[in-house]
Amino acid sequence: MAEPLRSLRATALDRALLPLHRWVWQDPGRRALKLLRFAETEADGGRDLSRAAEVTRDPLLRRLYLRHAQDEERHAHLFRARGRELLHSLPRGGSVSFEANFFAPGERGLDDLHVESEGDESLLAFLHLSEEAAAQRFVIYQKSLAHDPETRDLFRRILHDEAFHMSYTHAQLTRIAGPRTRRRIWQARLGRLWKAYLRVAAALAGVIGSLILRVQYFVLLPPFVFLARRAARREPEGFAPSRALPDARSQY
Amino acid sequence: MRILGISAHYHDSAAALVVDGIPVCAVQEERLSRRKNDAAFPIGAIDFCLEEAKLEPEDLDAVVFYEKPMLKLERVLTLALRGFPRTARSFPKAMRNLLGEKLWIKGIIASHLGIPARKILFTEHHQAHAATAFFTAPTRRAAILTADGVGEWATFSLGTGEIRDDGSADLRLLREVRFPHSLGMLYSTFTAFLGFPVNEGEYKVMGLAAYGEPRYLDEVRRILRRTPDGAFALDLDYFEYHLSAARSFSRKFVDVFGPPRDAWDPIDLSSDDGRRFADVACSVQRVLEETLVDLARRLHQETGLDDLCLGGGVALNGCANARILRESGFSRVFVPSAPGDAGCALGAALCVDRLHFHRPHCEMPDHPFWGPEPGDVSRIAGEDGLPVDRLRDDAEVVRRVADELCRGRIVGWVEGRGEFGPRALGHRSILAAPSDASMRDKLNRSIKFREEFRPFAPAVPIEAAARFFELSPAAERLGRFMSGVFPVRPDFRARLAAVTHLDGTARVQTVEREMAPRFHALLEEVGRRTGIPVLLNTSFNLAGEPIVSRAVEAYSTFRRSGIDLLVCGRDLVAKRREEAVAPEEAVA
Repeated sequence: MAEPLRSLRATALDRALLPLHRWVWQDPGRRALKLLRFAETEADGGRDLSRAAEVTRDPLLRRLYLRHAQDEERHAHLFRARGRELLHSLPRGGSVSFEANFFAPGERGLDDLHVESEGDESLLAFLHLSEEAAAQRFVIYQKSLAHDPETRDLFRRILHDEAFHMSYTHAQLTRIAGPRTRRRIWQARLGRLWKAYLRVAAALAGVIGSLILRVQYFVLLPPFVFLARRAARREPEGFAPSRALPDARSQY
Repeated sequence: MRILGISAHYHDSAAALVVDGIPVCAVQEERLSRRKNDAAFPIGAIDFCLEEAKLEPEDLDAVVFYEKPMLKLERVLTLALRGFPRTARSFPKAMRNLLGEKLWIKGIIASHLGIPARKILFTEHHQAHAATAFFTAPTRRAAILTADGVGEWATFSLGTGEIRDDGSADLRLLREVRFPHSLGMLYSTFTAFLGFPVNEGEYKVMGLAAYGEPRYLDEVRRILRRTPDGAFALDLDYFEYHLSAARSFSRKFVDVFGPPRDAWDPIDLSSDDGRRFADVACSVQRVLEETLVDLARRLHQETGLDDLCLGGGVALNGCANARILRESGFSRVFVPSAPGDAGCALGAALCVDRLHFHRPHCEMPDHPFWGPEPGDVSRIAGEDGLPVDRLRDDAEVVRRVADELCRGRIVGWVEGRGEFGPRALGHRSILAAPSDASMRDKLNRSIKFREEFRPFAPAVPIEAAARFFELSPAAERLGRFMSGVFPVRPDFRARLAAVTHLDGTARVQTVEREMAPRFHALLEEVGRRTGIPVLLNTSFNLAGEPIVSRAVEAYSTFRRSGIDLLVCGRDLVAKRREEAVAPEEAVA
């Protein structure tokens, strides 16, 4: 287990962006909220893994997924406790306007997992990549937290588990997929890319949709506002009669 | 006639199948998808219903959706207009939400099931609530009261139901209160203010209320005014839920009740803020209760009927239900096992069966067990090397489990079909001895991970209930689906410490032999050993997860928590001391 932990390095991009990471983690309020957000992500991950344990027919995988789920639950607890601690140390009413969630996501913060639709091989490949990405990320977070030894130590402890998760998912994938292992990992990599594209596309579509609806709101609605308000003023306060027996074929 | 009811797209979606007037199955989507409060189109629940009844979608005579989507659109548009320009931010969100899926439900149902659109019918939201409450209750004539956050326009309605001698049924909603005036939204706003998740944390407000004083009664009464016709209206200056998608209470609300609780921050009842939150919870609970009691009392005076059927999410408030029974004048109060939106799937199907197709009413099976069978646990436990004891008969199961419970063990208890509704009523339950308060702490610490102020519920055989709890025969009925909160008799409070709330009450489940024979036998067996036939009964799930449905989920929950013994049918699985996977085995 020590071997993968030693060989873990942040990605080149993350290393280049270290000053930015330091800035993200500098503010104690933001740090607290990020840890609390991580706690939620870990708890969600734990639920996904327990579902994976329920779905798989491989007894060894079931045991490993259950242990992994318990690890995630423990991480959630640790993140939550530290986040609350930090929050309590802050002056009351302090707020953070920018949490930088996209820039510094939690473990599977940007990865959607649909356990039921995955086979054991693809799930293991996904988990392996996801744990690897999280571990690399946690390495850079550790480096960004020189000013907060307690939080840095928390990441160090969790990183130890992440290294185990990375190793076991790879070992089990090799056991199950044999010569298909590399292909599975590449498929998972492409799947992550595709999902990332979909997320970006959906977010963009959402922004455009909101913009169009906002324009409609200000252009189309105003003429009817007066009528609606007048009707509201005429509505009696209290009870209104119910409709006798609405027609079941109608959507109105 | 085969009618499928569907509720979806708000929270807790569900499907229910009614064949020849009788429910065949009903299940919440979350129990199958394993996503808590899953609001997605309930395709898993529909598949389960059809498989259970061995039907194909084309065999269905009708599929009923539980609300009218166009009326909902009308409400959203109207409120956007009335709130212009303050609704500028919420409008795109609300419209995208509606236009995404909700508005096209007819097409979605038709395409998912491959049935012609003419077979797809709609009830009104509160009509479905009323139908769930009335048609599943053992009564021929009753007044009906439904209350929730909001359906299409209605948030509260009053009506009557009648089953005539020839079997024909009538269900009439007389009048309603419309959005944004809503008892459900009032309670949800306080839930959000107190830092709990809306549509999920309302139980917590009720639990927290017992720790407070009604210090804010006048303030809450000012916000929830009574109107001259006996209805109610909210002072909308205190709210924003009708204008904003982000926040439900206004600055004025905060001026009165103080800063809201941060959801991350645990409630410390010894601090000033903790006490303030408890006082706020107590005050809103008290005002909700007195308002509902008064509305029910007026309904009783108006209709002269003996029975009242309660529906809608507000009917999950056991303290209010108990007060309605005690003070409104009705002799009996019925609350279905699923009074919330999930139950509307069943209500919509029953409503169309009785009122649209005019089929005669049939006596309804009076139980909540419409979900899936658990299946077998022995294979997976065996694969993990855990000893599985397959016992000869139910009597042996009951004896063994009673032994374990009396030794202070925590038991995961799975039998037969799962419950329809939010409560575990003895088919998907975690059971423990109720005598020691440390058991409550142990459950909270190692299994449920929930706030200390939330009580655990007791289950008791109905014949013995009045000995331990202050229950009238009518209240015993309310306890059938754990729908009422009643005082524990003072003599037994110390001996039922794990299930007695701070104010000396408990949300009692009264168990009838006919409804759950094996669970009833277990309670009696425990009574023979301890003198008190009561068990702590909490839902079989971990924090953030839905109640388990199948054996495999029960097993995974058992493995991940401090449950000592898993009972699934006649199989008993106990934990080994050390069962974790050796890391070396995993990475070899």
